[in-house]
Amino acid sequence: MLDGRLSLTTPEGVRLLLTPAGPYLRAGAWAIDLACWGSLLIVLRLLMPDGRLGQGIFLTLLFLVYWGYPIICEVYFNGRTIGKRALGLQVVRSDGLPVGWRQSTLRNLLIVADFLPMAYVSGLLCMMFDSQFRRIGDIVAGTQVIYKEKPVQRAEPPAAAPLPLPFPLGPDQQRTLADLFEREASLPPERMAELGTIAEALTGHTGAESVERMRSYVAGYTQ
Amino acid sequence: MKQKQFEAQHAGLLAEIGAILDGSQPDGRALPALYRRLCQCLALARQRGYSPVLADYLQQMVAECHQRLYASTPERPTTLVRWMLVDFPCRVRAEWRLLLFAGLALYGVAIAIALLIWSDTHWAYSFMEPRQLEKMTRMYQPEAHRLGRGGSQGDVQMFGHYIWNNVSICFRSFGAGFFGGIPALFIIALNGMHLGVVGAWLHLDPVTRPQFWSFVITHASFEMTGLLLAGTAGMRIGLSLLKPGRLSRGDALRTSAETMYPVLVGAALMTVTAAFIEAFWSASPSIPAAAKYAVGALCWAGVIGFFVFAGRGRQH
Repeated sequence: MLDGRLSLTTPEGVRLLLTPAGPYLRAGAWAIDLACWGSLLIVLRLLMPDGRLGQGIFLTLLFLVYWGYPIICEVYFNGRTIGKRALGLQVVRSDGLPVGWRQSTLRNLLIVADFLPMAYVSGLLCMMFDSQFRRIGDIVAGTQVIYKEKPVQRAEPPAAAPLPLPFPLGPDQQRTLADLFEREASLPPERMAELGTIAEALTGHTGAESVERMRSYVAGYTQ
Repeated sequence: MKQKQFEAQHAGLLAEIGAILDGSQPDGRALPALYRRLCQCLALARQRGYSPVLADYLQQMVAECHQRLYASTPERPTTLVRWMLVDFPCRVRAEWRLLLFAGLALYGVAIAIALLIWSDTHWAYSFMEPRQLEKMTRMYQPEAHRLGRGGSQGDVQMFGHYIWNNVSICFRSFGAGFFGGIPALFIIALNGMHLGVVGAWLHLDPVTRPQFWSFVITHASFEMTGLLLAGTAGMRIGLSLLKPGRLSRGDALRTSAETMYPVLVGAALMTVTAAFIEAFWSASPSIPAAAKYAVGALCWAGVIGFFVFAGRGRQH
């Protein structure tokens, strides 16, 4: 299927589907992380006592937060910094498994290369020319930023008196029809009626009546 | 089989797997067998044209099971020790040519500039502002409260400063090394230049000479080596981009990054050690210079000996 998703075949013969995330959303996640990072540093600065001891501890903490924040987040919180969590993104290895220390450290140190010569130009160019939107750090570390899949809600099947199909439908056509009624809650009734009119060849009716007909067909072949 | 019947038939399987995944069933030993049945369910659901919502639901469950089964790695508590004692020195030895090159960029530049300044002191002003040089001289006066510092900064304050500054330079020279190694080489040569100017300037003044050398000798063994190694690791990654050999560029980058990772960790640890020494030992004027020279010589011998001898014959 041409849907831009990465397909990895596992030893069990099933495919894992990963959806790579593009530069726009990742820049948003980066901005949220920057805001979190900055406010954390301001809080730390205010908490530190004045004077030489406080400054020393602050600089040490600055070092740990500056380089460590994304690495700790990715290793311990399932590949998600606060910004990525907010926007539904996740860092995984290129085989779809969670990142470890090595991958996370490498991709977050190579951000220096992504930043050069200024303002993440190299990283952006690299993402634009890579088919999986990887920046330099991702390519070197063998990682990938993907959309975290939202949990699927299983819808109730249509409650209607089953009817036999007037002529046989293939698996794809049956799937399309079943999908329509599982998505019915998110569609306005006028749109459903329009679709019903389009399906006149199948049902022999138009508008809402045709929709009810199709509902009965779906009930017929799913239940 | 109709979708409803299929769902009813496999409801038990899905409930069992769901219990293991959400943690309500702590014993996960049944998961591999259940997972294979789930994979079969998914294939059947796809092939029989059941609704996409059901297929997506099964697909997501398969993805979660895959993560659960394949992401777990055995505990390896001794990995870091083995890396540091065996892999780190072995991989540094394997890159001796690159290390030699980086060393030339650091010490070669430093010595060349020092000789230039030695031949005519005025050259120093071409590399540094007179104000900065004056500050350097002030920092190494014998009556200074702490050596190598502008005023009366505390030890912890300078420790924080060294950590933030020096380890960040290490990481930057590693990361920027991606571009063919040139930025890493540039950072190393820049540090070499700074070392040459400051070293020659303070050495030529008889008042600051003993102060300066006794200050730098100990921590330089870790700091300079740490910088060189981080730069070398970065340059190796950059070279694998230029000259990937028989691998594709992506594979060459990944392989060299994987190989150089222990070197990077080791370089960072060495620079952190150097920050400790520089803040709490080197700067103290109460320790006699002879003790500093003795400890400094021991550190240098230790560092060189470690990279020459450690981990030989234990690599596999």
